[in-house]
Amino acid sequence: MELPLTELKNGESGVINSIRIVERSEHRGRRHHWHRGAHTRYTTFMKRLTDMGLTPGVTVTVVKSAPFLGPVEITVRGSRLALGRGMANRIFVEVNR
Amino acid sequence: MKDKKKLVFALAGNANVGKSVIFNHLTGLHQHIGNWPGKTVERAEGTLHFQGYTIDIIDLPGIYSLSTFSIEELISREFIALKKPDTVINVVDASVLERNLFFTLQLLELETPMIIALNQMDIAKSKGVEIDCKRLEKLLGVPVIPTIAIKGVGIYQLLSKAIQVVEANESKKKIYPIRYGKEIETRVSKLVDMINASQLKYPARYTSIKLLENDEEIRKEIQSASPKIVAVSEKLSREIEDLHGHDCSTAITCGRYEVAGHIASEVQEIIPSTKPDLGELIDDITTHPLLGYPLVFAALLSILFSVFTFGDFFSGYLTDVFYCWKPLFMELFGGSLIGELFWAGIIDGIIAGVTIVVPYITPFYLMLYLLEDSGYLSRIAFLMDNLMHKIGLHGKAFIPLILGFGCNVPACLGCRIMETERERLIAGFVVTLIPCAAQSIIILGLIGEYVGLEWALLLYAFDLIVILILGRIAFKTLPGEPTALIMEMPSYKVPHPETVIKQTWFRIEEFIKVSLPLIVAGSFSLKLLELLNLLNPIANLLSPVTVLWLGLPVATGVALVFGVLRKELSLIMLATLLGTTNFSYVLTPVQMMTFAVVTMFYIPCTATIAALIQEYGWKKAWYVTVFEIVFAIALGGVAFRILPLFI
Repeated sequence: MELPLTELKNGESGVINSIRIVERSEHRGRRHHWHRGAHTRYTTFMKRLTDMGLTPGVTVTVVKSAPFLGPVEITVRGSRLALGRGMANRIFVEVNR
Repeated sequence: MKDKKKLVFALAGNANVGKSVIFNHLTGLHQHIGNWPGKTVERAEGTLHFQGYTIDIIDLPGIYSLSTFSIEELISREFIALKKPDTVINVVDASVLERNLFFTLQLLELETPMIIALNQMDIAKSKGVEIDCKRLEKLLGVPVIPTIAIKGVGIYQLLSKAIQVVEANESKKKIYPIRYGKEIETRVSKLVDMINASQLKYPARYTSIKLLENDEEIRKEIQSASPKIVAVSEKLSREIEDLHGHDCSTAITCGRYEVAGHIASEVQEIIPSTKPDLGELIDDITTHPLLGYPLVFAALLSILFSVFTFGDFFSGYLTDVFYCWKPLFMELFGGSLIGELFWAGIIDGIIAGVTIVVPYITPFYLMLYLLEDSGYLSRIAFLMDNLMHKIGLHGKAFIPLILGFGCNVPACLGCRIMETERERLIAGFVVTLIPCAAQSIIILGLIGEYVGLEWALLLYAFDLIVILILGRIAFKTLPGEPTALIMEMPSYKVPHPETVIKQTWFRIEEFIKVSLPLIVAGSFSLKLLELLNLLNPIANLLSPVTVLWLGLPVATGVALVFGVLRKELSLIMLATLLGTTNFSYVLTPVQMMTFAVVTMFYIPCTATIAALIQEYGWKKAWYVTVFEIVFAIALGGVAFRILPLFI
């Protein structure tokens, strides 16, 4: 099943399916819409993640989450990374449960 | 014609791979640390003599890619592609081979002569990773030298190999055997043919790949030379997108990682060690939900404590040393106007800089580099990220912010640890709003003493709220994108003392060169004003602000001006000017509160302004300074009008 990275338990692994811009805008009553600059924002965001090895199809393992909804620590391609929660929320992984 | 005996080597690699340790081994004390022209990115350069060559070594910033995502990446690739160093020494962390090779592959695309320092072999070994260097050398087509920089192992071999590479490759163009997937390569070669026909300054293959990646800089470059190539590359990259299902830039990144992963698995053998790793254990404790925060708190307290104990002791010692020369000086030049101006203006300024700032920033830098090198800084950022997001910063900003309570100067310089220019500026701005120890003296000594401790605490709380609000406004209004935290969590390691000490020394040297003259100039001009009897006229000139708007006595104008020079003296100044140390005789509680509000928010001191100039350039330093002065005075006036309702 597909879950955002933040929903994984410590020690659980998943394969990256997609990276999306899902702005949490429920309270604004509308979904994110593509205005000018949204595209470049998305590509910069993607570039940062993929450059660090978080490419679609790669296996990531959650090591732990920081307390108080802090960042998520993961291992990917033999390296350990801390991802801000907002960022981790946008990474969707396929998990076997 | 280039002098054959003069060489330029560039050190390139990811962050946390031991690049600066190698740099220190190579260059010793012949270093120069400054900024890249017009940027707030550190540029470290050093020279060494080896086998009859004079070698200039440039330590490029630690980066993960060569895209245009950050200034560091842009600086690095332009340096390699356009300045053409004789050899690039790519420092690779053997314990995180795959991710490091991803960067190596991009260096290879630049077709520069290069050599790999396979560093941290000891850490790799302790993780159970064995690497076949010969095989790696063969697959990449680049010499590979295993090193353990922290122990100096392999440095000599690295250097002699680099010289060999230079001597063997004299004017030969490098073509490396690395190729990505077929769907990418066929399109790259189409572009390469077109680009080869029209002469361009970057290598053709590199240009083609960057065009397909939709790289802004290269696109602009080619657009003016040949718009046709850009049009074709757009068509080709759409084709790749259709085949791959992701945008072309992601497809190429995937391609590179595929190759990196393939090479890594070919050359390394991993036998996970069964022994529990000490680093892992420390990591578990330091990021523990219950233990982590007290530990951060303890670490920060010990930093503040050591900075201030050492600073206080050393500052006092230096002051004694300096002032014991004063009688002698006065005997020689005393009495004359020039003599007084010289002593009070210049010597006092130097003393202020040397005795007040240097003793405090030295231990601070030592602690900061120790924290960073050991890996604990990343853990602090990990724990504090959420809190810092409230003001649009991420976890790493926590350190300079807390240090701001001690002294704004090192805190300001510490903002360097932020990744983007925008974040450095927000952090620097927020830091200068934090009451430093000297401002705390005013808050506690004036308000705590004469108005009530609860009012002093209220002022602190108010300050934090204002910081939160202004930080948020800066974060919303400054151009650019907020960056979420994406940070490597390096393994814990014992810092390399020599590197830490050298880094500290070069930072202080820079401070003395850049900031000290500014402090002296400030001190000199104030003394000049005093000797010319201009202080009272200035106080009178300021009276519309001080008396009418702030409701303070005329004399406070002078204290406020002097406060910019040496904040810790403004309370003493105020006492001298008002003729008493019991402020309750001369100031009403409302006046005291107003005075405290103004001093709390306005720019701390000339040393901080100097630090701002050093870090952000004149223009931004000027904006921050003017804003804070105007803001502080505006707020003071409001306080003067509202506070009588409560006090």
